[in-house]
Amino acid sequence: MKSLVIIVVSAALAAVIPFVGSEYALSFTVQLFVFVALAYSWNLIGGYAGYTHFGQVAFFGVGAYTGALMMDAGFHWLLAAGAAGLSGALLALPLGGAMLRVKGPFFAIGMFGMARVCESFALGFDGITQGGTGLYLTPVTDLKPLYFVLWAIAFGMVVLTWKLDNSRLGIQLLAIREDETAADALGIRTTRLKIGTFVASAIAPAAVGSLYATYLSFIDPATAFAPMTELTTIAMVLLGGMGTTFGPLVGAVVMSVVNELLWSRFPEIYLALVGAVILAVVLFMPRGIVSFAMRRAWWWVPAARSSLRRLASRPAPSRSPKEAH
Amino acid sequence: MPVFELLIAGILLGGLYALMACGLNLVFGVMRIINFAHGDLLAVGALTTVSIVTGLHLPFYVAIVVVPLLTAALGLAMQVLVLRRLADGPMIMSLLATFALSTILVNLSILIWGGGYRGLPGVLGGSVHLLGLDVALSRLVSFLVAMAVTLLVWWFLQSTRFGRAIRSVSQAPELAVINGISIDAVRNVTFALGAAMAGLAGVLLAPTFASDPQLGARFGIKAFAVIIVGGMGSYPGAMAAALLLGVLEVFGGYWFGQVIGSAMLFLVMLVVLLVRPRGLLGMGVRA
Repeated sequence: MKSLVIIVVSAALAAVIPFVGSEYALSFTVQLFVFVALAYSWNLIGGYAGYTHFGQVAFFGVGAYTGALMMDAGFHWLLAAGAAGLSGALLALPLGGAMLRVKGPFFAIGMFGMARVCESFALGFDGITQGGTGLYLTPVTDLKPLYFVLWAIAFGMVVLTWKLDNSRLGIQLLAIREDETAADALGIRTTRLKIGTFVASAIAPAAVGSLYATYLSFIDPATAFAPMTELTTIAMVLLGGMGTTFGPLVGAVVMSVVNELLWSRFPEIYLALVGAVILAVVLFMPRGIVSFAMRRAWWWVPAARSSLRRLASRPAPSRSPKEAH
Repeated sequence: MPVFELLIAGILLGGLYALMACGLNLVFGVMRIINFAHGDLLAVGALTTVSIVTGLHLPFYVAIVVVPLLTAALGLAMQVLVLRRLADGPMIMSLLATFALSTILVNLSILIWGGGYRGLPGVLGGSVHLLGLDVALSRLVSFLVAMAVTLLVWWFLQSTRFGRAIRSVSQAPELAVINGISIDAVRNVTFALGAAMAGLAGVLLAPTFASDPQLGARFGIKAFAVIIVGGMGSYPGAMAAALLLGVLEVFGGYWFGQVIGSAMLFLVMLVVLLVRPRGLLGMGVRA
């Protein structure tokens, strides 16, 4: 119940911003939505399934380029975003099949390498992508439809994660995270689930990448595949709490505000400072804000897997004598 | 097609990869993490070399001695101040910490040296006649120094008491502790050694390649592909894979252009992951 209240209130607050907020508030929130979608997607594979990796920006970038090229060919930006989401899934399927065979640091950095390969392709095939010059797109005149599509994706991911957190599927993913061999022995189809989650975690980033390209009306390899996007996304999930329903949301909001402050005060050393902030999070708050609040049982924090807990605490149905034997 | 020339060029490049990848692999062995900032230590090494030679007008061999010491100190500081505190936590925390350290190093390097490319004109210029080919002196010297140091470190690991301690920590940390080996000391020394190897690789590539603060991402990631192909934790595996991938990159670049040539390392890595996940000579990657 608390979860639903939090989702509805924050979604409603975010929905009124384009009508009451300034231009600046709008652009800040667009960036925030992009990061919320990225953070929730990463939380699926990294937080729930335990396959943390540094290559999500590959999907973001590939989506951005797919969308940009389609818009260049004259398609509507919404259609382009849909196609971009599909391209993310199509890339993730074979990549997941190969990369998910390894765990831990190998998967994490192997995916980072894949992102760099995608970047070098975007630079190298300059006949299609214009290489380092980048693609310039016709700017959209009205930002509101774009804003609400991003809003829908961001809060769609929140709702999806909330549903997942209270489902059998979510528990199966957690089992993979805790002990994959044991999960396998319990009959969980680990390989299929892992690849499925990986593909699911690639769709929203790719679609959002395309929408971000629409928003900027420009895309180049350095923007599309920026390692900083990756690092910021992961730091948001970590700061909020990995594998929690509201961690990525809290983390994204807090981190975006901190980044915005740092950016306006110290533009020259901004990126180094973001690195330092992330280092501080890793060293001093690795479990994240939401996990911390959950353990302290703060009143506003919904418990993890609340509906499953209710289910589990119901008295067992009385058994018939036949079954007792 | 100049097969022989490409082969030599590939092996010379592979020598540098070997030095870089063996340092990374060594650190992985005792820490069980991949140091993301390894490539950035290399970039700092290369840029410091440029400053020493063109800024301070000192000879190149000064850099060969001084820069590895500097990066070793930097690496030791990273280990003592940050990574040691995370050693017993989940892997993702250490990895993320090295990712953050890498970002900090890159951006501080941009502040110090600027974002542009810097070369070392005139250092080890010219070429030598070797096996009927003209080989650039800078590449030959880089290769020889890199291979010499890589082999020296291998000898150190195989034949000295401390080298055995490093190997025992990487193979069976619990047993190493029971035998009175200080894991902390081994980790500190290994991290410094790995960082020194990265710095030296930076020094050696400065005369041949243009250096910039982003150099680390380009080269460090190749070192990673090398150790996946060679096998995690396997020192000879990394050496062999480095030479192999150097040759592959040069041939790929000749056939398909520079971009695909570099990407080819990763395609090879993917194939190795699919066909033989533990690498050519590895002890297994499901760590």
